[in-house]
Amino acid sequence: MGKQVDLLQGTLDLLILKAVSLGPLHGYGVLLRIQQISGEQLEIQQGSLYPALYRLEHQGWIASEWGESDNNRKAKFYSLTDTGKKQLRSEEDRWNRMAAVMATILKTTSEEI
Amino acid sequence: MSLPTRLRSFVRSLVHRSTLENEMKSEVWFHVESRAADLEAAGLTRSQALRQAKVEFGPVATHTDGMRQALGLRWFDELRGDLLYSARMFRRTPGFALVAIASLALGIGANTVIFTLAKGVLLDRLAVRKPGELRLFAILLDKKSPVHSVWGSFFRNPDGRTYTSSFSYPAYQLLRQQNQAHPVIGDLFAFKDPRRMTISVDGHADVVSPEVVSGNYYEQLGVHASLGRAIKPSDDAVPGAGAVAVISDGLWSRMFGRSPLVIGKTIELNLIPVTIVGVNPPDFTGAAIVQSSPDVFLPLSMQPVLFPTGKASLLSNKDNWWLQVMARTKPGVKDSEARAAISVWLEQDIRATMKVGKDDQMPTFVLSDGSQGMASLNRTFKQPIFVLLAMTALVLLLASANLANLLLARSSSRQRELAVRMALGATRARVMRQVLTESLLLSSLGGTAGLMLGYLCRSAIPHLLTSAWDPTKLNTRFDLKIFAFTAALSILTGVLFGIGPAWKATRTEVNTGLKESSAASTRRRKGLAGPALVVFQVALSMLLVAGGGLFARTLVNLSKAEIGFDPSGILLFDVQAPEARYPKPRDITLHARIEEQIAAVPGVQSVTLTQLPMLASSMSNTDFVPTDQPKPAEGTAVANVNEVGRTFFSTFRIPILYGRGFGATDTTTSPAVAVVNEAIVKRFYPNQNPIGRTFKGDNDKVYQIVGVSRDSKYTDLRETIDPTFYILYNQSAEDSEMTYAVKTSIPTTDLLPRLRAAVQLIDRDLPLRDIRTQQEQIDATISQERLFATLTGAFGLLALTLACIGIYGIMAYDVARRTNEIGVRMALGARAGMVLRMILRESIWMAVAGIALGVAGAFGLTRFVSTMLYGLKAMDAATMIGAAAVLFVVAIAAGYGPARRASRIDPIVALRHE
Repeated sequence: MGKQVDLLQGTLDLLILKAVSLGPLHGYGVLLRIQQISGEQLEIQQGSLYPALYRLEHQGWIASEWGESDNNRKAKFYSLTDTGKKQLRSEEDRWNRMAAVMATILKTTSEEI
Repeated sequence: MSLPTRLRSFVRSLVHRSTLENEMKSEVWFHVESRAADLEAAGLTRSQALRQAKVEFGPVATHTDGMRQALGLRWFDELRGDLLYSARMFRRTPGFALVAIASLALGIGANTVIFTLAKGVLLDRLAVRKPGELRLFAILLDKKSPVHSVWGSFFRNPDGRTYTSSFSYPAYQLLRQQNQAHPVIGDLFAFKDPRRMTISVDGHADVVSPEVVSGNYYEQLGVHASLGRAIKPSDDAVPGAGAVAVISDGLWSRMFGRSPLVIGKTIELNLIPVTIVGVNPPDFTGAAIVQSSPDVFLPLSMQPVLFPTGKASLLSNKDNWWLQVMARTKPGVKDSEARAAISVWLEQDIRATMKVGKDDQMPTFVLSDGSQGMASLNRTFKQPIFVLLAMTALVLLLASANLANLLLARSSSRQRELAVRMALGATRARVMRQVLTESLLLSSLGGTAGLMLGYLCRSAIPHLLTSAWDPTKLNTRFDLKIFAFTAALSILTGVLFGIGPAWKATRTEVNTGLKESSAASTRRRKGLAGPALVVFQVALSMLLVAGGGLFARTLVNLSKAEIGFDPSGILLFDVQAPEARYPKPRDITLHARIEEQIAAVPGVQSVTLTQLPMLASSMSNTDFVPTDQPKPAEGTAVANVNEVGRTFFSTFRIPILYGRGFGATDTTTSPAVAVVNEAIVKRFYPNQNPIGRTFKGDNDKVYQIVGVSRDSKYTDLRETIDPTFYILYNQSAEDSEMTYAVKTSIPTTDLLPRLRAAVQLIDRDLPLRDIRTQQEQIDATISQERLFATLTGAFGLLALTLACIGIYGIMAYDVARRTNEIGVRMALGARAGMVLRMILRESIWMAVAGIALGVAGAFGLTRFVSTMLYGLKAMDAATMIGAAAVLFVVAIAAGYGPARRASRIDPIVALRHE
């Protein structure tokens, strides 16, 4: 396990949407999924996950439903809605473009100017 | 991200609030437990794992708050908290809340009432399709104009020209044809509201107001009958034919009990049978005015039968201008282009139909806004409305100052509490919001009460404006516009007058705020906001009281004005000789017989007939050309005229100065004679004896002057007496309707049955119309002035009350705040009288400053009303001094209570007081 990275501002929403897009999850499951797919490299404040989940649900991108967890307890499961899918796609695009631009900028050496 | 989704989610969370809170709790708990279970699996003990999980989760309260905020619930929770807190404060100090709410209710109520009136005059439009497209045809007439004879309302323009919307029927028809050939505007249509008529339905008679309309009127206005059919072009095809009527919704209720059987029913109008073919929609008020609807609508073709005037039918008369013409704008044609084209046509039509003298100026054609019917012509009617609106705005300002005053006092006394809140971390914005919520709550409560007050008083003004014998059905529609106006006013007041106190409340340094309020034994001035508000209130009251005084004195001056005749004991009523039964000249014989019959009734001292009642805002003028003098080169030779009975001068006690009055020798067949007033002598016969001279009136008819009467007023109380002459009705008789004036000394109720009986002896079907005393008739002409005096007087009183509350409040607060200081003073030897004077001095200072400011304001503002005054100048010294004195006394009286309380402070108690 390498050094953990602090979350960039505004990326939590995208991470949640991505995590939920892979299948319905409860809050703790979202946390585990993000840690799992990021290879445990991201540091997430666990409590701050919930206001973000509520905000996304309020905006209609994810929907929630109460169900049974693996250990047979009542838990609230979140899944991606249709508008959420669209939102995820456009966020992905934006992110990729941004990353590409940033990469180009950072690769620039003094000879190239 | 769509708004509906968010709104749904917000509402859902609001409705299922307790479920939501439980769910949040269990969701968080599930997370912590799951994490703890994982940690336990990794080797921690149960309690260590739980602690570790909680630490990793972070502060639960902050995160749940974040969840609520994500749902948009936070501001709602805060608002609810603020409202509950404000309500609790009101309960603790009910006096404060009551005074604020009552002040605002009075202020906003007054505004609602006046706005209702203003809306009717300034905003309401005709209830037709797209009223904004309507254009009313109007003309400006010079003194020398080919148009001599106008029947209908006209207004004097500031440049001395006459503004009217009357056209002759032939001119209307020519214009319509020219426009059909080369359209610059929609099809022309025409209408006229003639004099009221007698209606008979199944033997029951009443008086109704008619509107005669062209055949395309309904079609062009886009109005459909709610029952039956509207008037069609075929109804208006042949002069004298088309005996059909569409009645108003009001008349349908009043006379026919809303029975659908009314269609096809035959009624009589002025004894002419007419068939009802339709009923108008309830909100339709005709094309002339917005406020109330005529009762019956008839085709123009019925004019020669229904209300014949003069010898020729008005439909073929080229000289009489009487008809209102309207049209809709044509898409793509500018008003200026249409106006230019119609101007040219109108000049052609006048030259084609009328005699044009060589100095005559052609009328200027004006295309005026028709969305409010004929109201756009009458600019003078709007000024009083603006004055009233301004005055109610001042009243509201006064009331709002009270609100601000009270909020200020409150925020000072709450300084410690607010300091504590801010010390605990409340932001300034949060505290301001709390104070603003409180002021908004007060203002909305005040607004609600004001709206109810306005609703209760909505009919007060129309009631004040109508006269007993002519109940004008003024429309005071209480609609959404009024509600919106009141709501906007309340919110504006709450925000504008809450923001100052809110700002002040948060300005305190936490440190000093916490320490300060304990020991304040010396007087500390915390800004001048309170006293400044009171000075402002006194100044506003000064303006309003002075305004009320000016209008009250105007009314007094008018009612004391010298009118030149004696109105006491004179009873008036109108009798119309129906053309169907009394064709000219038999109507004259009828009137002569009625006059004779009434003169014989016991209790009648004398009786006379007049073509126009005295001082009833109506006039008739004609040419006055002395035959033995060269025609005056400049100016016009016109004079007012009234057709009267023989005993006119004795009945009205108008002295004959030279020559004689009318006598028994002046009969229908004897040479035409006239009595002239002093103004005629001064104008046409300076330093000459006019007796025996002759002059030409209308239609070149020659009259001989037999007497000179003293000047007396003719049209209204404000007039300067114009040249006027009187002729005998039986030597001219233009009109079939005459006003009878009966001089009597017995009560009207006793006399009236005898008069009715006397008239019915001659014709059973003749009703006595519009029974009123001469004094009531005069009072009716100054009803607007009376309304003004009443309203502005009420506003003045309201202003005094509000200022009183303001002064009392600020002084009481001041005394309460300075109890400690006063205690010290008294402990050191100050006497009660000295303390009393000290406190009173303060209210005197505020009163004097306010009065001075008010007088200065009056100098600037009263000139706007100077044209509405009579017999006094805008800066009338007596009124100003009186208003100042009243305000001074009221201010001292309001300040006396608190001052007296201050002087009775017990030093021992006061020193312990905190």
